[in-house]
Amino acid sequence: MSTGGEQRYVELFRLSKAYPNPYGDRVTVVDGFNLIMKRGEVVSLIGHSGCGKSTVLTMVAGLNSISEGSVVLSGKEVTSAGPDRAVVFQSPCLLPWMTAIQNVRLGVDRVFAHGTRQQRKEICEYYLDAVGLADSMDKYPRELSGGMQQRVGIARAIALKPKMLLLDEPFGRLDSLTRMELQDVILKILDREKITTMLVTHDVDEAIYMADRICMMTTGPMARVGQILDMPFERPRRREEVLEDPLYYDLRGCLVSFLEEQDRRKHRPAPVPKIAESDAAKSADASDQADALAHAEA
Amino acid sequence: MKYKIIRLLDVAGMNCFEPVVRLCYGEEPRQQVRKIGLFIVAPVVVFALFIGAWAAIAPFIKTKAGSLPSPVDVAGSLVDVYEFHWREYAKKADFARTGDDRDTTLALVTQQLADATERKAVVEAELAELTATLDAETAATLKKYEEAIENQTLVYHASQFEREQELHKLGDKLEVSQDEPREQYVASVREHQTLSARESTHLKELRSDLAAIRKSTTPQFAALLREKNDLDQETQFLDKRASLLSDGNRRSNVASAALTLKNADAALAAAAPGQRYDATLDYLGAEERVLSSAGAIYAKPPTFFDQVFTSIECVFVGFLFATAIAIPIGVLCGLNKVIMASLSPLISLFKPVSPIVWLPIVFIVVGGFIERPDEAWVKPAFLSSAITVALCSLWPTLVNTALGVASIDKDHLNVARVLRLSMWDRLTKIVIPSALPLIFTGLRISLGVGWMVLIAAELLSSSPGLGKFVWDMFNNGSSDTFSQMLLTVFVVGVVGLLLDRIMIVFQRLVSFDGGATAL
Ligand SMILES: Nc1ncnc2c1ncn2[C@@H]1O[C@H](COP(=O)(O)OP(=O)(O)O)[C@@H](O)[C@H]1O
Ligand SMILES: [Mg+2]
Repeated sequence: MSTGGEQRYVELFRLSKAYPNPYGDRVTVVDGFNLIMKRGEVVSLIGHSGCGKSTVLTMVAGLNSISEGSVVLSGKEVTSAGPDRAVVFQSPCLLPWMTAIQNVRLGVDRVFAHGTRQQRKEICEYYLDAVGLADSMDKYPRELSGGMQQRVGIARAIALKPKMLLLDEPFGRLDSLTRMELQDVILKILDREKITTMLVTHDVDEAIYMADRICMMTTGPMARVGQILDMPFERPRRREEVLEDPLYYDLRGCLVSFLEEQDRRKHRPAPVPKIAESDAAKSADASDQADALAHAEA
Repeated sequence: MKYKIIRLLDVAGMNCFEPVVRLCYGEEPRQQVRKIGLFIVAPVVVFALFIGAWAAIAPFIKTKAGSLPSPVDVAGSLVDVYEFHWREYAKKADFARTGDDRDTTLALVTQQLADATERKAVVEAELAELTATLDAETAATLKKYEEAIENQTLVYHASQFEREQELHKLGDKLEVSQDEPREQYVASVREHQTLSARESTHLKELRSDLAAIRKSTTPQFAALLREKNDLDQETQFLDKRASLLSDGNRRSNVASAALTLKNADAALAAAAPGQRYDATLDYLGAEERVLSSAGAIYAKPPTFFDQVFTSIECVFVGFLFATAIAIPIGVLCGLNKVIMASLSPLISLFKPVSPIVWLPIVFIVVGGFIERPDEAWVKPAFLSSAITVALCSLWPTLVNTALGVASIDKDHLNVARVLRLSMWDRLTKIVIPSALPLIFTGLRISLGVGWMVLIAAELLSSSPGLGKFVWDMFNNGSSDTFSQMLLTVFVVGVVGLLLDRIMIVFQRLVSFDGGATAL
């Protein structure tokens, strides 16, 4: 693969999504979302709840139809869901009638259909071990805690050896201790496997700790990329080092102020539609600029 | 261990025994006792009250077939049907016994028969004695009563005759053209009529009193009579066994047939030229008889328990048909909105049709397919009952399956989409497992419906089974059969309950909340 392909491994080009509202007319939730990801890069998508992060992610996954624009992954346009884009949602959504290992196995059997039974079994065991579930492989989801279920979900996704990993607030329902544990679990695996990852979150610290770049979304409707921040931390990361880094608070401040700014905009008395349109145009410029900036840096 | 038992009880749907287990392990005794009172004692008490009320009311409900059988009668009829059952099976077994087994059994039966005959003789003697004394006692009373009635009858007749004469005379003298005397006359004739009617009712009452006295027996006498009847039946039964073990036995039948065959062979060997053809025919006939007697089995009438078993078999056959139709169609409906929309009018149309309507139609259709019912491997009546059961019981399964498949979790479907599962994998690994709890809910309802429908279907189609049993008993119309009908009510109830329990267990096993892990 050419370096160009490596540099522009994932391209989201003018991605838009319009949902029909109950009255039949379409509401544009995401409008003109542009993003380019390098191979092996972890990009975090951050924004207020309801701004359209999940919408973007599910469109990339192919689980949600794309209204306008396109998603290209390693030179191929995404048209439907597939095992090259593994997804982990906020809820683990394991199949309750299968044990942990069977849940992982379902995908592995699909993806490594050419391997022997033994090989496939070993793959499942390897990844369950990697997420720390070596002892609970034969348990049913109901016998596992929420955190353990999410671990299975992560193992299931990574065992597919996907080109891209899509994480939609994967720790959103976990307590903070489990969350930190799982963050480390994922980081460790990502350092080893170098999977291109999109991580949706609304937790600023999580984004800083895990991502190479943070893509801040404006608040919808017509959400788009507001600003992109590069994280200057080395990989593999250690939580203490990141937390103690002098840049940490600056970055955090930058993110928080962006989010607060978005919040203020939202609560400002609604402008006349005409003006809203020009407003959107302005922020589109901003996002394009941010994009260009990111490229220049890369 | 404790939790394992509790879990098992839970899966079996017998949570009511949970406090007993907990009590055995000494856990919070007071609370457990309270729970036992609530979940075990209270239902038992209510059931006992029900039996009591039934026993109290039964004697007052008089029918042509005697009064409504009491709980005791029904329990007695259970014993009766059980006795009939094992006797028939004993006979059947005897018929096929051979060798030493047959000899020892025969010796035993002969011994029992001798005993029974002896006891019977004793009872008969006692009975005769008792009858004699009773007769002597009652004869006097009866005589007096009969005379009194006779006198009364004569008196009434005489007075009636007298009144009539009087009225005739009055009528002759009556001035018919005048209103007042005429009305008076009519009134007196009417009075005469009412009076006569009253008198004849009185006589009738007296006569029925007499009949009651004649029939009335002491409890001792009734007990003896019952004992005699039982012994009659027993000796009859033992007699039959003895005959089935000796000359009625299959072996003896075969032996005598073989003898005939040998004779026929000899006759053929010695036959004169003109008789050879006929002698050969005889020989062939004898040969045929040897074969048929060797393969013969005792022609046992179906017993009550055979009928129960046939019914259960029939309901399962019907239930299997229903399942085989309902689940695939239900899955299709759940998967595809177009199929669902196009089938739902048909479903709503046929769902409410009663088994009574289906049965004759099915009967005719099945009759059309099976031309020679006697030779077919499945009886048309049985098959039509089963199909009727299927037609009536497939709807709950169908609707529930469609619902289960349609309401499958979107996240689970997303898994299938991400993995690009084939249609088959999607069906077997995702759709059906997730719909399974609802499918089983449907199956459970279906089986319940099927069992209810079956009894009606059997009753109408007179295919063997509990329904037919009830119908036969109804046509028999004695007080014995009446209590057997009531017994059937309970047996149908109990079997239905057990079927439901079995389905509950299955339902718990396929649910995702961990029922299966208890086993
Ligand atoms: N299937 C849908 N139909 C209509 N509107 C939707 C649908 N899914 C999401 N939305 C709307 O799109 C917006 C963005 O949703 P989402 O992408 O889930 O936000 P986020 O993940 O950032 O919290 C929300 O306002 C939500 O109401
Ligand atoms: Mg979301």
